[in-house]
Amino acid sequence: METLNYLMDGFSVALTPTNLLLALIGSFLGTLIGALPGLGPANGVAILIPLAFTLGLPPESALIMLTAVYAGAMYGGRISSILLNIPGDEPAMMTCLDGYPMAQQGKAAEALTISAVASFIGSIVATIGLIILAPVLADFALHFGAAEYFALFVLAFATLGGITGKNPVKTIVAAALGLMMSTIGIDISTGQPRYTFNTLELFEGIDFIIAIVGLFAISELLFFIEKHMGEGESMVKMNKLTISIKEVIAVLPTSLRCGVVGFIAGVLPGAGASLGSFLSYTVEKRILGSKNRFGEGDPRGVAAPEAGNNGAANGALVPMLTLGIPGSGTTAVLLAMLVSLNITPGPMMFQQHADIVWGVIAALLVGNVLLLLLNIPMIGIFVKLLSVPPKYLMPIVTLVAIVGIYSISHSPFDLYFMVAFGVLGYILRKTEIPLVPVILGLLLGPEMEKNLRHAMTLSDGDWSVLWGTPLAIGIWAVAILGLVLPYIVGPVLRKRMQRS
Amino acid sequence: MRINDRLFGALFLLLAVAYGWQAQQFPEPMGGSEAIGPSTFPTLLAVVLGLGSLYMMLKPDEDEAWPVGKTLVELIGIIVILVVYTALLETVGFVIMTTLAVALLSWRMQAPPLKALMTGLVSAVVAFVIFNYGLELTLPDGILELG
Repeated sequence: METLNYLMDGFSVALTPTNLLLALIGSFLGTLIGALPGLGPANGVAILIPLAFTLGLPPESALIMLTAVYAGAMYGGRISSILLNIPGDEPAMMTCLDGYPMAQQGKAAEALTISAVASFIGSIVATIGLIILAPVLADFALHFGAAEYFALFVLAFATLGGITGKNPVKTIVAAALGLMMSTIGIDISTGQPRYTFNTLELFEGIDFIIAIVGLFAISELLFFIEKHMGEGESMVKMNKLTISIKEVIAVLPTSLRCGVVGFIAGVLPGAGASLGSFLSYTVEKRILGSKNRFGEGDPRGVAAPEAGNNGAANGALVPMLTLGIPGSGTTAVLLAMLVSLNITPGPMMFQQHADIVWGVIAALLVGNVLLLLLNIPMIGIFVKLLSVPPKYLMPIVTLVAIVGIYSISHSPFDLYFMVAFGVLGYILRKTEIPLVPVILGLLLGPEMEKNLRHAMTLSDGDWSVLWGTPLAIGIWAVAILGLVLPYIVGPVLRKRMQRS
Repeated sequence: MRINDRLFGALFLLLAVAYGWQAQQFPEPMGGSEAIGPSTFPTLLAVVLGLGSLYMMLKPDEDEAWPVGKTLVELIGIIVILVVYTALLETVGFVIMTTLAVALLSWRMQAPPLKALMTGLVSAVVAFVIFNYGLELTLPDGILELG
């Protein structure tokens, strides 16, 4: 009952005209960003963060817009999967399997409609899951002490590579690099300047928004130049939509089941949306048994991964909102947004900033309705925009990111820093060191050090306090499992994903 | 080839040592009563990175190819464009520099020169109008300053 009241309050935040308009803009931009091949949701949200700042939005409005972008990007990923057989982002990979065959059979519009409905159902199922699970988890997390939190941060880094991750050691290296960057600047508790080299601009530390835009957007530009040199334009073809209600109803059971599977995958640390869509697809294939024509353009084969990845995307918000620990790259970027708005995510947020949390959850529901409306009648617009060649779009997108950074501080120093981060991001990606742990390290570093300090001060310098309670030991165990498991099941899972 | 991981492993190891050594130079906090000072956390990180980089050197992954020849020149060109853009943004002004930067980037992505220039000009002017007048965030006028 209490939850319902909060949710109603949330709706009163999300449904103000300004916020509704922002959600609409966010949904539109998000879908567009998700649809562009190569520009994944993490990049998209990263590029729009400076924009949200320059607009001078209040925290709840900024978050509502970015949540809408996040939800929209998950919808958008399917468009290029179906039409071009190029996934707009990684989780949309599985949608190619049946979506593209459908498009080749002249049923692109049907595939887009069915996938939009499936995305909607997956999101709604997962949002309901979020509403039920988040307050419970937040209450439970109130029992966490500094030692548990420190262990939880380690857990977040250990599982970030995901079960399918290639080399967990590189995830750790990346996290260490990010955490090291976070120590640059004046130490909050002692006032001691660290690694500042007496440069005034470094005393306040590295602004992670600059790091995010550099690492993601600028390095993407460099990769783009390297990979797509001289590549021609792609032709996009659409047919007229002829779909009956019956066909939509036929995919409902699949969408509901896969929404649940996706949600669970999203909540678990280290799984994420890619595994969510993969699991949904394989589980659904099993359930349907001989009745399926998966891989040959089965509408249910389009619905399953889409419901799955949208479910997982919303599920990933559970650990992000309740524990302050993001499970994926995009939620890490959303977390960056929260931190820069001076809101510390975690269980306390449900008490101190209840209006913001529930406003965002309500915005997810509202955003999904908007997205469904945007994605069925207006799908033609996105298809048109998708046919604008990237050689014009990429420079403009980069420009928007640069202007956003510049207008935060009006300092060319920040722009140089951004370019430097771009080069660093390019080199790291070339050596297959993941970027998300770097960002996350930069972001969580101060909190992690603070919790370590707290725990150690209470115990008078006794390190064993870090694994002193059963709860802490449990978290450490999961963290270690998160590091070891990829070596055992990783190769098997990766092979399976490639085969299907 | 497995040079990448060995090379970067070595670089990271060097970084870990330098970073860890620097951490030991921080003075003890006043009073020294704190259980952990400003150097504890960095020391911990230096150890973690050190171990990770050793692993990278001992068990390197297969290399990804680095760009060579023309592609490398292209990439350096892109970085030069971005650096020059930053350096001249405030003196020359937003509209001119953005037109040039977007046009050059778009041209280097195989767009025909005239179309690239148009893309640059239109996006620069639109962005300037939106940011300066719509959002009231001043972008530098540069040499186009009126009055």
